[in-house]
Amino acid sequence: MRAIDHYAWTNRWRDRHPAEKLLPALALLLLTLILPPLTTGPLVLAGTTLTVVYGAGIPWKTLLSVLAAPAAFLLAGAPFLAISLDFSQGFSLHISSEGMWLALATTIRALAAISCLAFLTLTTPLADWIPLLRRVGVPAGLIELILLIYRLIFVFAERALTGRRAQTARLGYSRFDRGVRSVGLLAGNLFQRALEQARRLEIGLAARGYTGELRVLTPERPLSWPRLTVALAGVMLIGLAGGLLARGSP
Amino acid sequence: MSAPLLAACELEHRYPGGVVALRDLSLNIERGRKLAILGANGSGKTTLLLHLNGTLRPTRGEIRLENHPARYDRRALNDWRRRVGLVLQEPDDQLFAATVGQDVSFGPLNLGLSKTDAEARVREALEALRIVPLAERPTHTLSFGQKKRAAIAGVLAMRPEILVLDEPTAGLDPHGVTHLLGALQQLHEAGTTLVFSTHDVELAYAWADEVAVFHDGAVLRQGEAVAVLADREVLRRARLRPPLLLELAQALDAGQGGFGESPPRSREALLALLRERLQG
Repeated sequence: MRAIDHYAWTNRWRDRHPAEKLLPALALLLLTLILPPLTTGPLVLAGTTLTVVYGAGIPWKTLLSVLAAPAAFLLAGAPFLAISLDFSQGFSLHISSEGMWLALATTIRALAAISCLAFLTLTTPLADWIPLLRRVGVPAGLIELILLIYRLIFVFAERALTGRRAQTARLGYSRFDRGVRSVGLLAGNLFQRALEQARRLEIGLAARGYTGELRVLTPERPLSWPRLTVALAGVMLIGLAGGLLARGSP
Repeated sequence: MSAPLLAACELEHRYPGGVVALRDLSLNIERGRKLAILGANGSGKTTLLLHLNGTLRPTRGEIRLENHPARYDRRALNDWRRRVGLVLQEPDDQLFAATVGQDVSFGPLNLGLSKTDAEARVREALEALRIVPLAERPTHTLSFGQKKRAAIAGVLAMRPEILVLDEPTAGLDPHGVTHLLGALQQLHEAGTTLVFSTHDVELAYAWADEVAVFHDGAVLRQGEAVAVLADREVLRRARLRPPLLLELAQALDAGQGGFGESPPRSREALLALLRERLQG
């Protein structure tokens, strides 16, 4: 999570208008979902990987680690798609070629879709989403919640880490049962601190004239139509290629 | 003499549960001064500061703003907090936005300023704290000292008449302290009244015009920094020690009264005095 956040703030495309990243990513996602996955999926995956690595300048290892967790889930689930149960003659388990194809197609489609989202999260920091969310009419309360949660995640991650270190220093994790106890104590402590933190944040905000609305100035980034057009053209090309290749093959 | 800009009159604060944090406390904040509220941990400094901008209400006594009793309705509080800016000790209690620039813009926008004006205020505050390069940085990647400055900028952007800081130098390294005091000094010269709490007698001695010594929820003595910090009895009761600089200067002087009302208040001044005495 730290890595995603770090690159979101520092990648080469950080200063681009979020719509330039959001629209192509959504278009690509749409193509992934409607076009034949066996040809489109790999193309989408290649497209997002190349843009993330060579466009935004994010190390491929980072991209890989972002994709790894959902990919693991997909791989764990895929075999169950390939296996079919047959109750017609008693009970039998068998792997059909149909099932294999289904498993492969689903995995590739899902992985391609995830890569579209990874592209977005890796290139666009949260601060840039806020004005966009506001524009499309997300309720202010929800946006404020997102903002506060984002901020406090880091405060509490820091506290959890320090707390864990302090516990470790006093041998809190020296045995399994002690570890369980320590985690429980830490969680209880963090919960209590969260409440205190909320109260103090309220004092801090009130001191600056908070009256129930968290308004801040958000940066205005110029939207580059040429860049957006090129990106969308690229997406269309991937879609065309994916569709045509699928038609050519059986 | 004109009425103090802000005054606490016979304040008492009893927390729910019966703990008395302030008892019969009176304090005057004069315009254009640097006032240090000096006290040991747990003496009630933070509780007092939270009264100075209306966050807490006294259970007895009152706060007076230019000799008018403070009111606690929403409009009065808004106006009060525009004039009295409070910076909390822990910057994470104050910073909430994703970037420094955005966080600093929060106060100005709450004042109802236009976007352009708010931007100018952000710029001005970042410049005053010398953190313009941090404007676009995400809040959670800052060092403690940077967070502290960002938190102060967020309050400063509202252009308060009085800037109240809770332990502004706590947790900062010597360079951070120098940097921060330099910025605060500039604000002070531009006309901002400064109030800060600290348990650091050296800081109070070197930097404050006026000191209020705090103990057990009450002010033992408020007055000119040099006079108050030379009062051993008061400091002893507050569980504090006299500043080393002052003690050394007094020892050097050995009752000659050579510097009278203005003993050396910086390391450099003391060294100069020392050289002079050694040669003389």
